[in-house]
Amino acid sequence: MAPANLPKTDVVVIGLGAAGGLAVLPLARAGLKIVGLEAGGWFRPADHQPDEIRNNVRHWPHAVQKANQEIPTARHGRNGPPLPRPPYHPMMNGVGGTSLHYWGQSWRLTEWDFKVRSETIRRYGASAIPEGSTLEDWPVSYEELEPYYDRVEYAIGVSGKAGNVQGTIDKSGNIFESRRQREYPMPAMRGAGFADLMAKAAKRLGWHPYAPPAAINSVPYDRRTACFYHGFCGSGGCPVNAKNSTAVTTIPQAIATANLKVVPYAHVIAIEADAHGRVTGARYLSDKKEYFQPASVVLLAGYTYENTRVLLLSKSKSYPRGLSNNHGQVGLHYMSHTRNGVMGLFPFDLNRWYGTPAQGTSLDDWADDNFDHAGLGFIGGGNLLVPMEEKPIEAASMSTFGRARRWGSSWKAFVKENAARWAPVWTQISTFPFEDHFLDLDPEVKDPLGYPVCRLTVDLKESEKSAMRFMQEKAEQWLLEAGSIAIDKLPLAPIGLSTHAYGGTRMGHDPETNVVDAWGFSHEAPNLGILGASTMGTSGARNPTLTVQALAWRTADHLIKKWKSIAE
Amino acid sequence: MVCAFVPASALRFARTATPEVLTPQERRCLQAMVSRIIPADANGPGALEAGCAVYIESALRDAYRSQKPGYGAGLAALDFCANARQGKAFAELNVGEQDQILSEFERNTGVGEYADGAAFFEMVRRHILEGMFGDPSYGGNANFAGWDLIGYPGPRMYVSPDLQGLDAVIPRSRVTAEQLVHGSR
Repeated sequence: MAPANLPKTDVVVIGLGAAGGLAVLPLARAGLKIVGLEAGGWFRPADHQPDEIRNNVRHWPHAVQKANQEIPTARHGRNGPPLPRPPYHPMMNGVGGTSLHYWGQSWRLTEWDFKVRSETIRRYGASAIPEGSTLEDWPVSYEELEPYYDRVEYAIGVSGKAGNVQGTIDKSGNIFESRRQREYPMPAMRGAGFADLMAKAAKRLGWHPYAPPAAINSVPYDRRTACFYHGFCGSGGCPVNAKNSTAVTTIPQAIATANLKVVPYAHVIAIEADAHGRVTGARYLSDKKEYFQPASVVLLAGYTYENTRVLLLSKSKSYPRGLSNNHGQVGLHYMSHTRNGVMGLFPFDLNRWYGTPAQGTSLDDWADDNFDHAGLGFIGGGNLLVPMEEKPIEAASMSTFGRARRWGSSWKAFVKENAARWAPVWTQISTFPFEDHFLDLDPEVKDPLGYPVCRLTVDLKESEKSAMRFMQEKAEQWLLEAGSIAIDKLPLAPIGLSTHAYGGTRMGHDPETNVVDAWGFSHEAPNLGILGASTMGTSGARNPTLTVQALAWRTADHLIKKWKSIAE
Repeated sequence: MVCAFVPASALRFARTATPEVLTPQERRCLQAMVSRIIPADANGPGALEAGCAVYIESALRDAYRSQKPGYGAGLAALDFCANARQGKAFAELNVGEQDQILSEFERNTGVGEYADGAAFFEMVRRHILEGMFGDPSYGGNANFAGWDLIGYPGPRMYVSPDLQGLDAVIPRSRVTAEQLVHGSR
């Protein structure tokens, strides 16, 4: 049966999460007519409950969703066996996407992140580039992206303390951040006893702690309340709309212009292209009926895994190997952050029960190129973070630090004494692309519609393990300085699905090695833009969302300025 | 030691769901295991008294339906081991004998033909922790026994700065998520 044709629109945005839900605002303000296709529905504040089983154990926001029907598979090499498939997709569908329940951490990357290749060669020589890496400098500099970081911070609302306003260093902020044009729109999230304890310990070590920036209201902002610090923020949506997901910020503002039509429960299955290689719109299922939404411009804004998958599934005469894949670059240059941390046990209660994980203490002394890497065997480094918010199941699931068995009366006595006395230091290292790390379609595993799911081929490189071990030593040093009496380092985890996944549609000047250009538009299909961390060429040592959003705004801005040449 | 008082809210789920996913034999075996993972002792009610067996059986009806075969096989393996050694069901062994078998499951040793002893042990332990320390509306954590054990002061909507101090004395909220959101007690 032929799909039902809908009236043509200027722009169809596929996915209304952190990226697509942000880009719709500048587009709508510019007067373009937008249709936003979102696989999930609307969530209400009351859907977000202070319930650890619902949010964190059973992943209720993810339940019975498109994403959960198409969980990617993973393997550690071309000939590796499939790894166990987790029961939940790391991301969710819904108007606002995973920005509904993310930690809200809203870091910028630094100048270094955008030119790692040339800076590394300049400082350490070409041999310092990890073997087999396909690392390139970004086609965008920090300076070019800075105005968009600024716009996003003010549009959604980010709480933080600047460390470098127009070159003036302020030690109460992050002294390692790159130059910014002005202060954050809201002060940093408030301190807490444990976060302050860790900040003091870092200072005694000569390090430079700061309160991490968060897309959470530290004070009332944009007619929404300040954070209640109730302690169910991680993987939980906000019941009082103090977390600045696109669902409560940019999407409603775009709807208010009357230029955005949100279509929830729209399951996009392909992007169509004509004989000239231009895209013509998106084909989607809604309530088991198929529709075709024609558009002058298509913006693909799914999560990293889905962006690659939709392109590879969208085959046509112009693109027999998948949309925008005539150079064979779709799916390549894949990388991700991997959960890595160190647990510390203290001889006193830390009172981390409440707050939010974005409230805490962070430091960048061992991130990026902020220290000499000569002889270390890796480039980059990691951000260190101690978060607040410890929910009770997680607290009781603590490491026993080799001091007790894991059940029975002795364990019960151990957790009675210690469940409130431990804390993690999390670290995220800069990750780089390698020629043998990529995404493609799984040859066997399919979703319920019969379409192959995405497959990851990725492992930890020796350079990454070295960086992770280095960061674990720094985390241990920090915890011991703060008074820890026992340390448990997490094993360097097998890499798999990640909430911080990058690449697959990399951004760069050269069409031979990149899918999109410096503006986020396809090198092959001129009216196809791609939003999301799938365009990022390096991960940075911090959470990706703010950079994804700054890039999305920049792509939208470019489209507005070049509308005639792109759309017509 | 048994809880003297269990709030109606904690029992509501169990009453309406009347779980009958497990056979009586399986249920006795699960209850015995639950009572050994977190026993009742001088530190308060154990997992059985807190309703963790009810929590698990309720979950196996819906959210954990797919894990029912794993429970069936694992519980049968516990009984098989108990029978092979003592000629009795696992639930009828003394606690020392029960702990010995559970230790072997945990280490994946001595469980004969049953290869997944450790996986079964870890799954049940994880579910017991969910029941013990999760929201009481799911059938466990009766009378907030789990939260009292580890000193979790309970969910509250608004947390003032003084409640986040290192030495803060925090009153127990003693509400479930639902009671907190809907304001009923």
